[in-house]
Amino acid sequence: MTEYEAIIGLETHIQLNTTTKIFCSCKADSWFDPPNTNICPVCTGLPGALPTLNKAVVEKAVLLAKAMHANLLPLSYFARKNYFYPDLPKGYQISQYDKPIAVGGFLDMPMNPANGQSYIRHITIDNMHLEEDAGKTRNEPGRRLIDFNRCGVPLIEMVTGPDLRSADEAAQYLIRLRQLLRWLGISEADMEKAHLRCDANVSIRPKGASHLNPKTEIKNVNSIDAVKEAIGKEIERQTNEMEAGHKIETWTLEWDEDAGVLRKMRSKETEADYRYFREPDLLAIRMTDEWRNAILEGFPELPLERRARFIEDYGLPEYDAEILTGERSLSDYFETTVKTYKGDPKRVSNWIMNDILRMVNEAGKPAYELKLTPAFLAEIIQLVDSGTINTSTGKNLLGKVETSGRAPSKIVEEEGLAKVSDDSAIREVCAKIMAASPNETASYKAGKVTLIGWFVGQVMKEMRGKADPQIARKIMEEMLSQ
Amino acid sequence: MSLSREEVIHIAKLARLELSDNEIERYQQQLSSILEYADRLKELNTSQIPPTSSVLPARSRFRDDVPVESLPTDKLLKNAPQSEKDQFKVPPALEGPQ
Ligand SMILES: [Zn+2]
Repeated sequence: MTEYEAIIGLETHIQLNTTTKIFCSCKADSWFDPPNTNICPVCTGLPGALPTLNKAVVEKAVLLAKAMHANLLPLSYFARKNYFYPDLPKGYQISQYDKPIAVGGFLDMPMNPANGQSYIRHITIDNMHLEEDAGKTRNEPGRRLIDFNRCGVPLIEMVTGPDLRSADEAAQYLIRLRQLLRWLGISEADMEKAHLRCDANVSIRPKGASHLNPKTEIKNVNSIDAVKEAIGKEIERQTNEMEAGHKIETWTLEWDEDAGVLRKMRSKETEADYRYFREPDLLAIRMTDEWRNAILEGFPELPLERRARFIEDYGLPEYDAEILTGERSLSDYFETTVKTYKGDPKRVSNWIMNDILRMVNEAGKPAYELKLTPAFLAEIIQLVDSGTINTSTGKNLLGKVETSGRAPSKIVEEEGLAKVSDDSAIREVCAKIMAASPNETASYKAGKVTLIGWFVGQVMKEMRGKADPQIARKIMEEMLSQ
Repeated sequence: MSLSREEVIHIAKLARLELSDNEIERYQQQLSSILEYADRLKELNTSQIPPTSSVLPARSRFRDDVPVESLPTDKLLKNAPQSEKDQFKVPPALEGPQ
């Protein structure tokens, strides 16, 4: 059997998280609003209404262009894409065509397959378009109901070259894109809420060949898992067709989430039928150097750069660096803690991955909103390092600081949590426990030495965790064998 | 430049217009003569003139990202021939005869 490789390109639509729509002052986010409540003459296409461009849309696009190494055009234009559909009240969508906001660009995506060599996939970007979203259509028996709230919500359309080679790579690209969009703060990038939408172009060819075969387009996939599954199934279908000597036809396929199958869609209008022309109601966007520089002031270090730097500068394992840079505020949290702590960064990483991550998830808020600040975490780790408190007291302190917002050393002092290394205090408690547990003491002396764990537990409990468990164990053993 | 009968039918389909045979013939002639008229521009030598897509100065005009009160739903729905549950009601079959 011939070995095939998949050629995949992704067309993504990114919903920007602006407050208002792209061409009018209606609220952009209608997720919790009833139908047709965020609408006006502009976004519902009433005669005579004129669009005005939202500045924030361009600013967010500039951030994405910079992150994707795309070139901003000094002059970009809007265009009308004409088609009739009931969710498009004007009869055309304002989009961009021959002079979009940015062209070119790339993402170098690290791939770490579970069984295989790590590699970098270079993914090219063709261009980025600004455009308006259409309304929502709901099918009801015998009719359709249209909600225009989503009309005019700002989108960036970003199309990759045919550079992805597997369903896994396609899924990974979406994961990286979602991470980047949230990092830049330009989109919520929630696929389930359609903030990030994806169509996939899929074809296959014998491995090593350089020609491109006819491709199919998969639409309506709204989760990363679904993208992976749908592309996987389409690669399998095309492989079977080719093996059977059939030709691949350029179908448009729709992913049926519930059934987990691809269905053929009706043929759609071809590009020429959209009759694009320059939008006469809007002026060109002039991107001056001054404006671009102002937008890019304070542009952040990007997640993949930071990931590489964490490995390089802090000697973190790739696994740690990946998790710590999964989200911008967590990575800032880590770095601030390391700088205050001044000790081994891996130690900070362990505390964050074991405990802080859980606290962040449970609180449902970003790390920088925790009352347990990086400075407090650094203080707790230092208290453990210096032997002032033991590890389990340190872990308990995390919650106490988070609830009260008070300094760890204050809490240690007030609650008397400092570790007791004074032998006499521990000896006293040990004697007390032996006196209170004649049966256990007799069993131990008769040879059941595994009971030592129970004895140490009693000591720790009595001393509210303040004793050093190692020392407590040593003293207890010594006293029991007398 | 003249338009074929098929091209007129195609354009009518894109505009969701239903045309009678008479109309197809009439529009074929009318649209063709409009295109021929526009074709007269080709008689001019424009090789030294940059294409003009707008006579307005290319200067961006923007709006700040601040929301204002939207249109009340009932006012918007006055433009709807039919509505239901605060939404526009349209027929289920949207494709014309293929
Ligand atoms: Zn509006």
